[in-house]
Amino acid sequence: MPYISQYQYYENGGNQPENANWGSYQYVSLYDIVNNFMLMYSGNHSLVNNEERYKVLFHAKRGIQELNYDAFKEIKILQLTVCNTLRYVLPSDYVNWVRISMHKDGLLFPLTENIQTNWSSAYLQDNDCRILFDHTGEALSPQYSELDFDRITGGEKSIYLNSNSPFDGMMGYCCDGYWYFDYRIGARYGLNTETANANPTFSIDKKAGVINFSSHVANESIVLEYVSDGMENGDISSITVNKLFEEYIYAYIEYAILNSKKGVQEYIVARARKRKSALLRNAKIRISNIHPGRLLMNMRGKDKWLK
Amino acid sequence: MINSVRNTVLSILNKNNYGYISPADFNLYAKQAQLDIFEDYFYQYNYQLNKENVGTSGTGYADITKGYEEVINIFSETKFLAHQFNNKFFTPSPITTNDNYYLLNKVLAYTRLLASGVNSAVTPGQLDDLVSADFVADGVQVGDIVANTTTGQVAFVGQVINSQELELINEDGTVADIFTASPEGYAIYDDAIVNEAEKVTQSKITMLNNSMLTAPSTLFPAYTQQEPLLTLFPASINTVGAVQCQYIRYPFDPKWTYVNLVGGEPAFDQSQPDFQDFELSISDEPTLVLKILQYAGMSIREVAAVQFGQALEAKEDQDEK
Repeated sequence: MPYISQYQYYENGGNQPENANWGSYQYVSLYDIVNNFMLMYSGNHSLVNNEERYKVLFHAKRGIQELNYDAFKEIKILQLTVCNTLRYVLPSDYVNWVRISMHKDGLLFPLTENIQTNWSSAYLQDNDCRILFDHTGEALSPQYSELDFDRITGGEKSIYLNSNSPFDGMMGYCCDGYWYFDYRIGARYGLNTETANANPTFSIDKKAGVINFSSHVANESIVLEYVSDGMENGDISSITVNKLFEEYIYAYIEYAILNSKKGVQEYIVARARKRKSALLRNAKIRISNIHPGRLLMNMRGKDKWLK
Repeated sequence: MINSVRNTVLSILNKNNYGYISPADFNLYAKQAQLDIFEDYFYQYNYQLNKENVGTSGTGYADITKGYEEVINIFSETKFLAHQFNNKFFTPSPITTNDNYYLLNKVLAYTRLLASGVNSAVTPGQLDDLVSADFVADGVQVGDIVANTTTGQVAFVGQVINSQELELINEDGTVADIFTASPEGYAIYDDAIVNEAEKVTQSKITMLNNSMLTAPSTLFPAYTQQEPLLTLFPASINTVGAVQCQYIRYPFDPKWTYVNLVGGEPAFDQSQPDFQDFELSISDEPTLVLKILQYAGMSIREVAAVQFGQALEAKEDQDEK
């Protein structure tokens, strides 16, 4: 990829979208990585020789995917309104979630993953609890399981200390519009901190590709922070790697090829593995960007007295 | 060089009046000898690379590999491939590229189509589309590839005359007259956006195409070979002018030509239209002589000539290791 002029960078040469090149210098493209690897690490005098380019491409993409899961720290964020179904369809490039929040009154309320399930599939049954089948032999299913129905209609009780809690409506005190309860009269001796959260909860149905929320999230705005695999929906020209990881990717490809190749001496494979691991450590330290200026605000609280 | 080789061979053969070979026989032996040496270049090149890898080869004047690369490059050609249909292109052949190929070294795919349409007028050495073209807005620049999709001819943009007229040139800078009728289709490719297509075996291509991560794309194209066709992937690479090939062709058959007999001997005449000299480097002349000598010796049943050729060639091979 050639270097571009300032005009190209800031205004995309007068084309749309204007921001196409903003920040692009941080990254090296997949195309460049494969091209550079074939040029510099593969050939007559290299450890890797006579390997197909598609293998290099495969390992490059796999390496980028792995980096995207944690090392890159590149979080994608999608805000959507959840309707009465209390369902948030996962983004098309979703791999795993980082944080889910409710955007309300100008604040982000972090939501908690429900330790219990709040969704289920179900089959229709007769009075003898026998499953009902259709003419093709498939079990008949209702639109909602009982669990889903109760959750969507607000009838489901929650072990969390929110408005669906069994404690809701019991004696307590109200402060700034929120109800607080010290204990359940006559029975409760302490607090289960795991479930002590007033915000709504969610549970992810991975196979169905949805996040199911507890009641009271209907028509609320939900912000999903998640990680993808960096494959940019199959658009190869958009796949990039942060330059801090460039050398690691070359090392990873080299290692992956040598490791799966017959007849390569073990010490060469071990050398490649060590190089790859060392470069990954270095790159992770670099990208965590730990420097005094960043720690300053946190360190200012070090002398604070704990009461 | 061919006359020198022939004279040397005849001189050795006629020693003690052993015999004589006719021009027709000489041409046959010369072809075999040239092919033999030509193919040996590649084995020698590989041998030298292996020597480099084990550190027993030198640099500078001792860089034998470089010499082999240079002689092999004598036979290097870079030409656009003729289009059959869809994503299929003909391999180089006497019909499509005027030569036979020994190996396809590199297949290049031009994937950025700048403009296409039909010409509306005929001007020698130009592409005129006065109806619908806007070559300037399309980003057509000097050096871009212009293909006549009707006749299959390819040229380059020599000058953007205006938004509807382009001056066309051949690779050597001469005027390219590839549009001689109207309407004829054209396609213009950006010469700067070129990617190398990778050769993939027939046994792998189906899986490769079905692979999420490695399916051929315009950035990483691939091709399979099934003579006399190359099939390019992705299938969107499907127009003449989109595929260029760098390959090593076979040397042309040498032909020692003459016009008439002078004193019973044919007199060498290199002005004949079918004259063809050896294409090998001058340093291969001794090997050519020795190889032809062996064929000629067999022809006249003169064992001494054969053995002489074999012994010297073996010594030469040994010296060059």
